[in-house]
Amino acid sequence: MPAGINFNLNGNEMLYTGSPEARLLDVLRDEYRMTGTKCGCREGECGACSVIIDGKLANSCLVAMGSIDGSGVTTIEGYSKTARFAALDKAYESVSAVQCGFCIPGMILASECILAATPHPTEDEIRTGISGNLCRCTGYNAIVKAIGIAAEEGDGLW
Amino acid sequence: MKPISKSVPKIDHCAKTRGLAEYVCDYDATGMLYGRILRSKHAKADVLSINLPAMPEGYDFIDHRRIPGLNRVHIVQDDTPVFAERTVEYIGDPIGIIVGPEEREVDRLLACIEVEYDILTPEFDARKSPVAFFEYGYEKGDIAIAFAHADRIYEESFETGRQEQMYLETNGMIAEYAQGKMLVHGTMQCPYYVHTAVAEATGLLPEDVIIAQDVTGGGFGGKEDYPSVLACQAAVAAYVTGKPVRVVLSRREDVEFTSKRHPAFCDIKAAVKDGRVTAMQIEAVYDAGAYTTMTPVVLQRGVIAGGGVYSIENLKVKGEARKTNTVPSGAFRGFGGPQMFFAVEMMMSHIAKDLGEDPLDFKLAHTAKLGDATSTSGMHHFNVPLPAMMDEVAQACDYRRKKEAYADQQGRLRKGIAMSAVYHGAGFTGIGERDIIKAVVRLRKDKDGYAEILVANTDIGQGLSTAFTKIVAQELGLPFDRVIIKLPDTGRVPNSGPTVASRSVMVVGELLRRAAARLKDEWLDGEEQVIEERYVHPDFMITFDIDKFQGDAYPTFSWAATAVEVEVDTFTGDIRILGAWGSYDIGTPIDENIAVGQMEGGLVQSLGYGMMESIAAVNGRIRNNSFSDYLIPTAVDFPAVDVSLHVEEYPEGPYGAKGAGELPLVGGAPATIEAIENAIGVKLSKTPFLPEDVVKALY
Amino acid sequence: MVGSERLPDAQSNQPASGSVTAGSLDEALKLRKENPGLIPYAGGTDLMIEGRADAAYLFLGKVPEMKRIAQDDEFIRFGAACTFSQLICSAHTPGILRDACLQIAAPAIRNMGSIGGNIGNGSPKADSALIFMATNSMLRLVSADSERILPIRKFYLGRKKLDLAPDELIVEVLMPIHGIDNYYYKKVGGRRALAISRVAFAGIMDVRDGIICNCAAAFGSIGDVIVCLDEIDRMLVGKSVEEASALKEAYIDAYNMAIVPVAGRVSADYRKQVCMNLLRDFLESNHI
Repeated sequence: MPAGINFNLNGNEMLYTGSPEARLLDVLRDEYRMTGTKCGCREGECGACSVIIDGKLANSCLVAMGSIDGSGVTTIEGYSKTARFAALDKAYESVSAVQCGFCIPGMILASECILAATPHPTEDEIRTGISGNLCRCTGYNAIVKAIGIAAEEGDGLW
Repeated sequence: MKPISKSVPKIDHCAKTRGLAEYVCDYDATGMLYGRILRSKHAKADVLSINLPAMPEGYDFIDHRRIPGLNRVHIVQDDTPVFAERTVEYIGDPIGIIVGPEEREVDRLLACIEVEYDILTPEFDARKSPVAFFEYGYEKGDIAIAFAHADRIYEESFETGRQEQMYLETNGMIAEYAQGKMLVHGTMQCPYYVHTAVAEATGLLPEDVIIAQDVTGGGFGGKEDYPSVLACQAAVAAYVTGKPVRVVLSRREDVEFTSKRHPAFCDIKAAVKDGRVTAMQIEAVYDAGAYTTMTPVVLQRGVIAGGGVYSIENLKVKGEARKTNTVPSGAFRGFGGPQMFFAVEMMMSHIAKDLGEDPLDFKLAHTAKLGDATSTSGMHHFNVPLPAMMDEVAQACDYRRKKEAYADQQGRLRKGIAMSAVYHGAGFTGIGERDIIKAVVRLRKDKDGYAEILVANTDIGQGLSTAFTKIVAQELGLPFDRVIIKLPDTGRVPNSGPTVASRSVMVVGELLRRAAARLKDEWLDGEEQVIEERYVHPDFMITFDIDKFQGDAYPTFSWAATAVEVEVDTFTGDIRILGAWGSYDIGTPIDENIAVGQMEGGLVQSLGYGMMESIAAVNGRIRNNSFSDYLIPTAVDFPAVDVSLHVEEYPEGPYGAKGAGELPLVGGAPATIEAIENAIGVKLSKTPFLPEDVVKALY
Repeated sequence: MVGSERLPDAQSNQPASGSVTAGSLDEALKLRKENPGLIPYAGGTDLMIEGRADAAYLFLGKVPEMKRIAQDDEFIRFGAACTFSQLICSAHTPGILRDACLQIAAPAIRNMGSIGGNIGNGSPKADSALIFMATNSMLRLVSADSERILPIRKFYLGRKKLDLAPDELIVEVLMPIHGIDNYYYKKVGGRRALAISRVAFAGIMDVRDGIICNCAAAFGSIGDVIVCLDEIDRMLVGKSVEEASALKEAYIDAYNMAIVPVAGRVSADYRKQVCMNLLRDFLESNHI
C-alpha cells in the first residue's frame, strides 16, 4: 500500500502512511495523541474504545487501519464540538451519569448512534444500543436515563 | 431531603465526557521506558536461575538483587516482596521487571527470558491449608447452654466465590526519579499507603517521595493495596535506570494477577427455641491467597458481621484466613462482609422455611433494635430502621403477593422472590481511625477568598471531590466555584487516611465540615489562612478491644434491605433478573444523584456476585482472565434497579451522613440466591449460582 | 488538538507490510492467488483480537460483490462481507437468521463483523454459521480459476479445518428461501449481550399438509465443529406428525448417543443436558 491510507478524522482529511495492520485505537492514541478513546481490553469486549466509522459504532481496537481507507472516523475529540454532544453532555450531567468516566467517551458515542438511528428510543432500544459498552460503576440506570433525557431535550437535533 | 442533598453537576463531569480527563495511560510516553513484569509460571516453586536474552542497549532487567531499599511492599504486614527472592508463591508472583524504550521489544524480550524452576507442592484448598495467616474470634452469652436447651439445631455450610473488581481502567503507574526525588503517579485509592511502601522499597526518605493520584477509572477496593505493589516495582525500576518508567497492565494481566474478593467457606450451627434463634456458632475460613495484603482487616470485618443484622443472644464466631498458592485476595467493596452476610442470611431463611414461617417475617422478628448489644457486645447507639425499610421494599416489589403466586410452580420458566437485610459498619473497624489512621485535613484559603481542600482522599468515580466541595461550600456559605479541590499528591496534602471502608464522607467529610466552620469563624478578608482539623473519636463509643473483639466495632451502621425477583429457565439454567429493589440508609445523602448512583452501581455488582461473576481458578491458574470470560453485567442483563434512600441521620457525620459506598454490594447475593432457591425449589448454599449450577441442581 | 488545522501524518516504525486492499472481486481473487499467505479480512472482529504482529491482511470490506444481498427463486444470496447489522436491517433476511444476528455480541461488533468471517473463522461457536448449518445453506467458493457451490455442512472438516483452497474466498452464502419459516432457535450464553455461546441450538421443522418435509437440528458450541446429523433428522422426514410422535423417543435417543460435548467454559454434562432439553422442546413445540 505505497500510497498510504486516506481517511477523514473528525472532519480532517488524513493520510496515514504507517502499518495497515495497526489498530485504529493505537494510532489514535499513540500517533495522533487523541487519548479520549480509551483502551479497556483490546479485545472488543468493553466498548471503551468505541468510535464512529461511517456513521456506525465500532470498537477501534478491532479495526485495522487498512480497513478504513476512504472512511470517516469520529472520536470524542471531534464529536464533543457538536450540538448533539452538548445535548447529551447536559443530560448526562443532569443525572450525574458519569462516575469513573473511563467508559464515558465510548458511551457518549454509543448514545449518538442510538439517537441517530432512533430519535425517540424506548428503554429497551437504549439498553441494546449500549449493550457493548461496559460500565462497572453506575449499573447503567443513570446512563439509560440520560440518553432518554437527551432524546427529549435535544428534540430536533436527531 | 436536606438542602445539601440537592444534586449539583459533578465537578469531574466535563473533563470526562469530553475525553480530556488524563488517566495514567493517557500520559505521553515519549522518553519513558515501558515496563513489563516477569511473573512466575508456577504456583509454588524455587527460582533456580533466570536466563536473559541478549539485551539491546537501553533495555534492562531488574530483580530483587537491585532493589535499593527493603524488598517488601508495606501493606498491613510486610510479607509481600517487590520481587520474589527464591520461592514464588502463586502463578503470577513477580520475579522482576524488564524495561526499555520500545513496548514491542520489551514484550519480545520478556517472552525470551527463561526461568528455571524447582517445582514445589502448592496448596490450593483453603480448608486444607496448614497455614493460618490470621485467626479471630469472640463469644457472647453461652452457646453451650443455648444448644443444650434448643428445640431444634440446624447445621449448614456455605460457600462464596472469588469476585473480580473489574474496574474499566486497569492498574498503571509512572515513576520518575530525578535529583534524589521520587515521583510516582497513577491510578489509586490511597496515596499515603503507596507513599509508605515506595519509601520503604526505595530506601528513600519519606520527604523525598511524592505520590500523586491520576484520574482513576474505578477502584471498588481493587486499587487499595495493589497500587502499592505496582508503584514499588515501577519506582525501583526508575531508581535503577534513572529514567521515567511506565507500567500499565493489560486487561488479562490485571484480572489474573491483582487482588480479588476472598473466597470463603462458612459453617453455621444454630439453635432454635420457641421458634426463635437463640444461638449461632459460626466458623469461617477465608482464602487469603499467597500473601497477607489486606486480609487481616478483611477478616476482622467478616468476623464482626457474624450474626448479621440480628440480635442473637448467644453467639460464637471464629474466622480464619488461610494461605493458598493463588493470587492474593484483597479489598473489594464490602470487604469481608458479603461472605459472612451471605451465610447468615441464607441460614436465617432456611431455618424460617423449615419452621414454616416466611423468611421476611422471621428476619423481622430477630432484627436488632436501638440499645441492643452488637455481635461484639458493643451497642446499637442509634435507631435501626430495618423494619421500616424492609416494609418499604416489600411494598415496592409486591413481595407477599408474588411469594404466594410463586409458591407452587411447574413448567419451564419458574419465578422466585426473596429479600435480605444487611448492614455495613461505617468507617474503619474498631479503633483504627483513632490509633492508626489519625486523619488530618486542611483547608487553605487564599487572599482572593478561594478555599482549597487539602485531603489525601481520592475521587475514584464515586463523586467524592464533588461531595467534599459541597460540604465545604455549604459550611462556608461560598458559591461552589470558590472551593477548589485537585487530585491529591502527598507533597501537598496531609494524610487524611485512605479512601476505603466507606469512611471518606463520614469521617473526612466531617473533618472538612468542621474545618470550614472554623474558617468561617476566623475568616479574614484578603489574607491567606490555613485551617487544620484532626480526627476526634466519638465519645459515645464503647472502646473496641481488638484482641478480644469486644466493644463497638463501628460508631454506626448503614442499613440495607434488598429484594430480588428472578425467573429461571429450567431447560438451560438461564437466570433472568426480573427486578431488584433496594432501600438504603446511608444517613443524609450529600448529593442525591451521587448517592443513588452509588447504590445502583453497587446493587448491580452484587447481582453479578450472585448469578454471574465467578473467577475460575484451576490449580491456581485463573482461566477466565478477560472481559469475554469473566462476565460482568451489561446494560441488557437487568432491568432498571429500583433504589430508594431511607435517611436515618448520624449526628457525628457531616449533615447526618454516614458510610455509603460499600453497603449496596452486601445484600444482593443472598437475595438473588434465595430467589433462585424459591424458584426451583432446591435448597442452595453458595454464591455465585450459575446456569450450570441450576441444571446440575435440577437434573 | 482537534480543529480546522490538519493533523500531522502518522509515521510508523513498522516494517513495510504485505497487507493489501481489494476494490473488486476480481482483484481480490487475483491477490488471493498471488499471495496465499494473506489473511482475508472482512470485519476484523475475530482477527484483530489476536492482532498478530506479522499478519498480512487482504481487506475485503470494499469489495462490492461481497457486500450485496440479493434474492432469486431459490436462494437469498448474502455477500460474505455483509455485516450482521446489514443482515438485521435487510428485508431479505429470514427470521431465524435475524434472531441469531441480533444476539451476536453487541452493536459495535455487529456493525463490523461479517458472516464470511464468522463462517471462515471455523469456530463451533459461530452463531450465524449455526443458522446456515441448520438451514442447509450453500457457500459459493470462488478462486481466480474456479468456482464451486458447497453445502456448508460439508465445509467443516474438523477443528478449524475448512474445505477451502488457499486461493479460494467465501464470496456468498446461499440460504434457501423456502421451508425455513418454522424454526426454533436458542442461544445460551453467560449473559444477554457480549456473550459467547455456551450452547446454541437451531432447529427447522417444515411440515406441509401434515407431513414433515424437512427436519433439521444443529448444535453449536459443543465440540470441534457445529453438529448437524442428517442421518438422524431423516428419521422424521416423510412422516406425519403422529408418526413422528411415535418415533420421538428413538429420535432423541439417537441424538443422546451421538452428541458427546466437550468441556469448555462450561462442563460437558451441562452442555449435554441443555442440548437434550432444547431438542425435546423443539419437538414438543412442534406437537411431536
